[in-house]
Amino acid sequence: MLFKIRTLFDSMAVTPLYLYLFLFLGPSNFSNSPFAHGFPSSSSDTTMHTNNWAVLVCTSRFWFNYRHMANTLSLYRTVKRLGIPDERIILMLADDMACNARNKYPAQVFNNENHKLNLYGDNVEVDYRGYEVTVENFLRVLTGRHETAVPRSKRLLSDEGSHILLYMTGHGGDEFLKFQDSEELQSHDLADAVKQMKEKRRFKELLIMVDTCQAATLFSQLQSPGVLAIGSSMKGENSYSHHLDSDVGVSVVDRFTFYTLAFFERLNMYDNASLSSLFNSYNPSTLMSTAYYRTDLYQRRLEEVPVTNFFGSVMETIHTDAAYRAPSRKTSGRADIKTSPDKMVTDDQIKTTTNSNVLDQSSDQKQAKEHMMQDQACPFARLMSSFKNKVQTVEEADSLVNYGLVTMIPLLLLSTLL
Amino acid sequence: MAEVSEPAIAETSRPEEPVSEFDPKSMRKTKPGLKRLILTLSVLLSFLLGFPFLWKSVEIYRAPLPFREIDHFSAQLDSAPLLFPCHFQAILIGFNSKPSISSDDLQFAISDLTSQTPQCGACSASYTVSVSVDSDAICAVDFDSDDEAVDELLESTLGGPAGERKVYSVVVVNRDEDVRAVVGKYRHAWISGRVSEAAALSRAAEIFVKVFVNGGKEEGLIHGEFMPVGADGRIVLSFNLLNANPNDGVYDWEFQKIEETVLAPVIEALRPVANISVESQVLYHTPKFSFSYWDHKWSSYIFNTKDLPFFVNSNEWHLDTSVAAGGRSKILHFVVYVPSADEWPLLLQLPNGEVSKTNGFISPMWGGVIVWNPEDPGDTPDSKQPVRHKISYQDLQKVFEVSMGQLRQLFGLKSDNLFVGSSGTSRLLASDRGFTLWELDVLSRQHTCFNLHSCATTLGSLSRLVQSLPRMIIMDEIGKQVHYSLEVAKLAQVNASLGVYDASAVASRQARSLAEDAFYHPSIMSVSYYSFEHCFAVYSPFFLPVSMHVLLAALREWRRHKQENKKYLAWKTKINKAS
Repeated sequence: MLFKIRTLFDSMAVTPLYLYLFLFLGPSNFSNSPFAHGFPSSSSDTTMHTNNWAVLVCTSRFWFNYRHMANTLSLYRTVKRLGIPDERIILMLADDMACNARNKYPAQVFNNENHKLNLYGDNVEVDYRGYEVTVENFLRVLTGRHETAVPRSKRLLSDEGSHILLYMTGHGGDEFLKFQDSEELQSHDLADAVKQMKEKRRFKELLIMVDTCQAATLFSQLQSPGVLAIGSSMKGENSYSHHLDSDVGVSVVDRFTFYTLAFFERLNMYDNASLSSLFNSYNPSTLMSTAYYRTDLYQRRLEEVPVTNFFGSVMETIHTDAAYRAPSRKTSGRADIKTSPDKMVTDDQIKTTTNSNVLDQSSDQKQAKEHMMQDQACPFARLMSSFKNKVQTVEEADSLVNYGLVTMIPLLLLSTLL
Repeated sequence: MAEVSEPAIAETSRPEEPVSEFDPKSMRKTKPGLKRLILTLSVLLSFLLGFPFLWKSVEIYRAPLPFREIDHFSAQLDSAPLLFPCHFQAILIGFNSKPSISSDDLQFAISDLTSQTPQCGACSASYTVSVSVDSDAICAVDFDSDDEAVDELLESTLGGPAGERKVYSVVVVNRDEDVRAVVGKYRHAWISGRVSEAAALSRAAEIFVKVFVNGGKEEGLIHGEFMPVGADGRIVLSFNLLNANPNDGVYDWEFQKIEETVLAPVIEALRPVANISVESQVLYHTPKFSFSYWDHKWSSYIFNTKDLPFFVNSNEWHLDTSVAAGGRSKILHFVVYVPSADEWPLLLQLPNGEVSKTNGFISPMWGGVIVWNPEDPGDTPDSKQPVRHKISYQDLQKVFEVSMGQLRQLFGLKSDNLFVGSSGTSRLLASDRGFTLWELDVLSRQHTCFNLHSCATTLGSLSRLVQSLPRMIIMDEIGKQVHYSLEVAKLAQVNASLGVYDASAVASRQARSLAEDAFYHPSIMSVSYYSFEHCFAVYSPFFLPVSMHVLLAALREWRRHKQENKKYLAWKTKINKAS
């Protein structure tokens, strides 16, 4: 009888995870209704697209996963070339290839056997390196829940007008992605994080690109609107590397990323090639897998979306028509520093001035101090302030110190004699 | 040791030999002892007593969150948009003694212009309107003098002390000249000229609704991209002077002076809306990304509005280097770009072919750029050191006037001083605090609205998240923040209903910041938590086998005791029967 209860228990215990997922998704879909009186908060159509962000994650470490780091660095370079600045790129790399003891070309990372392009050459700013690339940190970056001490450069500071590109590469499988050989990112965790991002309006549109084996399963649990996702292979398929560099000794790039880069090398910032041309450029025979993308959560048509909406950085700009001139402002204004002395004292405590009025200020300061001195009734305080004044007026501090040292010597002799 | 008990044999009654009837299997002579039973029962009891302690020790600490209040708050904001009480006053001067319009007519005209469904931040349906005629104090104001003086005089007569309810007034003066309308820096406007009563009425209603209530913009939708206040209620204004090519001449500025004169009043004025701090830096070798071409007509280098999105060279302009800005503050960058000598002068051409007067543009939620051309470019210096120049105070003032215009644009207001309405154009007077009082009212109302909605959404998401993960630890701090946030939000709503705009803006900002702190608390990580299977798997190998044995032993002892008791009772009855 006891055993029967136990098996029932076990079966009950396994289901909560899925129960939680449904509980989570179910009620929230119904209660997040747009405000009825014209407040456009929840519909992403009305907010302007103001900036682009890129989160590039390489989830592998060790020398034989060279190609994953090369993938990520190639995409980093592309995204920077097309205009997204470092301050809007979060780059997570294990970063152990360039200075690896097995690297024949120290401090150089290539993505092609012709070695034409050194990806690690100039100005690579890695935000999370080495063992900081964990599932927890990745989810913290996406959801924005950092400790207070985390600097701004490590945070995803997007707002409701941002388009975010999320690129992940490494080893993956059915509904998971392996992080640095010790952890897994599950597809429902990713879906959960994206859902929370959408609830907090941290993005307007999100493009997820995944280059791993069975990549399409990683975004199978997504439910939030405004998300476009493409993976390099479908369930049951592997993603393959492109070629082996016999000089370096490992494969240097994956097929999906290779063809993506081939598409982008033809573009510059001013082009407006569409996303559908990017997605159609993947040929299953050359990729040796099917690049699967899901557009059911994305409202816009792919032909109308330029790739620079995600991969480049186009700012929305509005011309300033006129200057705001207040006629009552006088040119002198408060530029006069020669005001009353008591105001001077408080001003000096706040500011540190560097212009030519320093001398005037110090003289005023002295006057103020003398005023203060006379007002003080306490003789000791008066003595101390007069002493302080004298000390401050001493010009030759060095000679005073020397005199002091010289007078100390006879005192020393006296004390030793005693 | 289990004692197998056989079913009691029916005793054969042999009255002559009671002793021989003693059947050891079904009877016993002595009362059964209680020692074994007490032993096993005490062990079982100790297990049972210890169980609540174990349960408490593996309990997950969750600070209680007021879910119902959060839902109630969100529902309240959804159902009824936040509206503020408004008071309008129209004063007519110079008409004949019996005016044919009354406050009802004015109310009708105003309600005609307001939409059916009031937007958040607008005036509530119960606004008060009053029309008065020929008040003596106003007649004394001389409307011939310039607009600034009229404004000041009107303020001295109409403006009440701070703390009184805020009344928006329009003074209509019937004089013999062309009609012009001016909106002052405080909360009043005037229309002067040959105007009939009906025309005056409609124009006054338009000024009330379109200017004083909506701020001179299109009614309604509060766009999130014109709310540049960070989640913690702070903005950092970062002013950057960029020298594209310092070899031609290094330009520097006296930022402190201009900050005191120009920026300090603006920061003070915007205090209810946001907590603003200012930083500045000078950068060198910062070329722009887009290209310009020489134009003979303007004899300068021209870049046009199509180049604007590519102007900011994010790779080389290291603008976001603020150390003081917290993780959730908003940074607005104001860039003053000094072009290199081979691209001097650099002018912006608008689509209509004209050259821009300001040479500046903004990008919402990012900041603004102004291109400043120095008086003459540096000549190629013979010396190795580049020539150092300081931007003169007058030039800097002009640049900062454009910056003020850009700041207003970033907040959603216009940078010029005209309001074009359906019944005519009005002039808006400019204030040296960057924003006039009525504009600050509009900003306070809209920001209150936005902040309260954002607070409600955040708290709602937090409550849904917490309820969906019943085994997630919720720390005390989060509970406290949610509580305070709700309290301050209630305070903001109360202030809004009373019409105290700036206090409600400050309270709503605080509510939003507390809600964001609670939602973004680093301990809420929804990765699979201390699940029930985990708890079960850890504790069952310790306790299940032992407790099974203890229970079985207690049961067995109890059964044995009962059997022995029965045996003893059987013997006792036999004895009694025999005796």
